[in-house]
Amino acid sequence: MTATQSVTLERVLDAPIDLVWQMWTDAEHFAAWYGPTGATVPVVEMDVTIGGTRHFCLEMQTPDGQSRMWFVGEYRVIDPPTRLVYTESMSDPDGNRISPEAMGVPGGHPEVTEVTVELTDVDGRTRMVMTHAGVPADSPGAMGWNMALDKLEAHLAA
Amino acid sequence: MLTADHPIDDNRLDETFAALANPTRRAILARLAEGEATVNELAAPFDMTLPAISKHIKVLERAGLIGRSRHAQFRPCRLDPAPLADVAGWAEQYRSIWEERFDRLADHLEHIQQPSQGSEP
Repeated sequence: MTATQSVTLERVLDAPIDLVWQMWTDAEHFAAWYGPTGATVPVVEMDVTIGGTRHFCLEMQTPDGQSRMWFVGEYRVIDPPTRLVYTESMSDPDGNRISPEAMGVPGGHPEVTEVTVELTDVDGRTRMVMTHAGVPADSPGAMGWNMALDKLEAHLAA
Repeated sequence: MLTADHPIDDNRLDETFAALANPTRRAILARLAEGEATVNELAAPFDMTLPAISKHIKVLERAGLIGRSRHAQFRPCRLDPAPLADVAGWAEQYRSIWEERFDRLADHLEHIQQPSQGSEP
């Protein structure tokens, strides 16, 4: 239960590498696939430059009614069409970062995460390797949640 | 737990996360991690009415996160950690989100690459 976890997924997509690159860097394409099932991505702003801002909104239904979650981040590596690295945090509608705890996200979620997308051409198809990693952050909020989760883990082990 | 033979039920995971997506409900769970408590005890730290707290407890109950004993007079709540095991690690939890995303990405790619020449009238 640390903030430095990561998850890596690999897919081979039946599409040319330039098109797969657009899926990540073109707002319209991104909005078409990124939201969870039943959710929409009503707002996407992407300034695909180093240090440029990405800011978008997921809209979904919850037991408490319709909810909007905002995310903000910046591009760190832009190497078309093979490598893209960007950060992601929860935010308010104006793009000000908000701690995951304040946003109500459980699980010791780190305040800033980093997504790395690596694309390789494989005879006209594209191998995509995506790594989503936590950026270590020892905010007081994260500590509070880690303590709660430690308790829960102890409970689970009991 | 997440295994190849027993994947996480996405609907249940959605319900778990929706239930957890509220600071009051998380505080209730954190309190119950220390031991069972009555609704009155759970309500004590909050500046909320009992019905409001009861509503939060019902959401947690529906998500299977807490259980309540049927026979006890005051029906204390207790934590049921099973659904939490599925969401214990944020990164691992993201795996199913990304898998689902990439399914949609593949569908979207297929959709936009449908032949627009030669197959249309």
